[in-house]
Amino acid sequence: MLGPLWITLSMGAMIGGMGPLYSSLFGTELSKFFPHLALGLIFWSLFASMVSEACYSFVGSANYLKQGYFPISLFVWRSMARNVIQFLHHIVLYIPVALWAGISLSWSALFIVPAFFLLLVNAHALGLALGLICTRFRDVSQIVTSVMQMLMFLTPVFWMPESLPSRAKYVLWNPLAQMLELLRLPLMGGTADMHNWIGIISWTAFSLLISTMLFARYRRRVVYWL
Amino acid sequence: MNMAIISLRNASVSFPIYGAGSASLKKTLAASVTGGRFGKETGVNVVEALSGINLELKSGDRLGLIGHNGAGKSTLLRTLAGVYEPSSGDFVRQGTVASLIDPSLGIEGDATGIENIMLRGLVMGMSKKEVDALTPDICEFSGLGEYVNMPVRTYSTGMMMRLAFSISTSVGADILLMDEWLSVGDAEFTEKAEKRMRDVVSKSGILVLASHSPDLIKKECNRVIHLEHGRIIDAYEIAPNIGESV
Repeated sequence: MLGPLWITLSMGAMIGGMGPLYSSLFGTELSKFFPHLALGLIFWSLFASMVSEACYSFVGSANYLKQGYFPISLFVWRSMARNVIQFLHHIVLYIPVALWAGISLSWSALFIVPAFFLLLVNAHALGLALGLICTRFRDVSQIVTSVMQMLMFLTPVFWMPESLPSRAKYVLWNPLAQMLELLRLPLMGGTADMHNWIGIISWTAFSLLISTMLFARYRRRVVYWL
Repeated sequence: MNMAIISLRNASVSFPIYGAGSASLKKTLAASVTGGRFGKETGVNVVEALSGINLELKSGDRLGLIGHNGAGKSTLLRTLAGVYEPSSGDFVRQGTVASLIDPSLGIEGDATGIENIMLRGLVMGMSKKEVDALTPDICEFSGLGEYVNMPVRTYSTGMMMRLAFSISTSVGADILLMDEWLSVGDAEFTEKAEKRMRDVVSKSGILVLASHSPDLIKKECNRVIHLEHGRIIDAYEIAPNIGESV
């Protein structure tokens, strides 16, 4: 009866279960912590599934690639589309949370648009690069999985960046933390710091460069590795 | 139909065969850092699947590929389909390509017959509109009746093949690539399928057909290439006798 909303339900259970627990563990007010956690989990699950699926975009499409000519980006788009659809099922959960927490949005919420665009550009670049590398070296996908697990704890998904002692602020330099801030703050009625924009734009330029180089060199080669 | 051309000049396709060692980043790194002391199994064998292939085909050519298993027939077909870019040499191709190497490519078990017609049509490079226009014909030809609205995983093997065949052969192309003759279904459908295959083949500019059956090659082709160990060991023309029964 729920159909596709099952995905929403399981994410909702996670947010609803963790919110009260962690807010009392960290000693943060629930009305402040709940929206923070909800967006953190929703966006993190989008990042995590995009990155982990990127590793299999070509390996998982071997039957297509071996039988006919296809532009390889197609398979990256396929996994991106799937992840964005899943994300849209998750993000509806934020509406009741935001209403409950009494969040008021300003025009600055529109910053979500360029932020999301940057996310897609990065997902595409990373999808191509990781897809190619993971096809050639099959053990990279395991490495990626463990790195992503580590990054989840280094990114303010659960904890608040404000509670970080200043000597540990460098943790926030990781691109996933910056991307998360860019996406989360506009939806919470705030604006992200300039350094996040600069960080992500430079990271985007870097990942575009790497993936373009790999793409130009190996896009027809990838079939030989399957 | 515009001119279809295939031209391979001194083309080679060689596969790197990565063992468990060289498909691993850790072992490859270990081997390159320690000068090969660790990560010993990282050697890469290269297999020449095709070497020094010269081939010129133009509209009207019906090429038969013969040779033992592993001689390179399928690799050559896939190279012509654009799957493998030759590792050396030149490859030029003009005209639309229909590859009947694997007719069931892109069939999703959980989707219905109708949905699969769309999926497979898109995979073959048609637009949504074109597929929509062809759908009634394909349904009718497949003879699946009401079953087209059921998920394909509930089909029998024969029904699946009928669907795949009906979609794959619904459009003609300048260049037709085939691995063995497609024959599917029960007696009644086989007859229909045979007629459809004739149509598609006669409409195509170039046919490349890999087969183990000398009779089939004799019947369909006017040129033959004999492959062995990835090389052309013999190429000759034969008198076409299309229309003669096998």
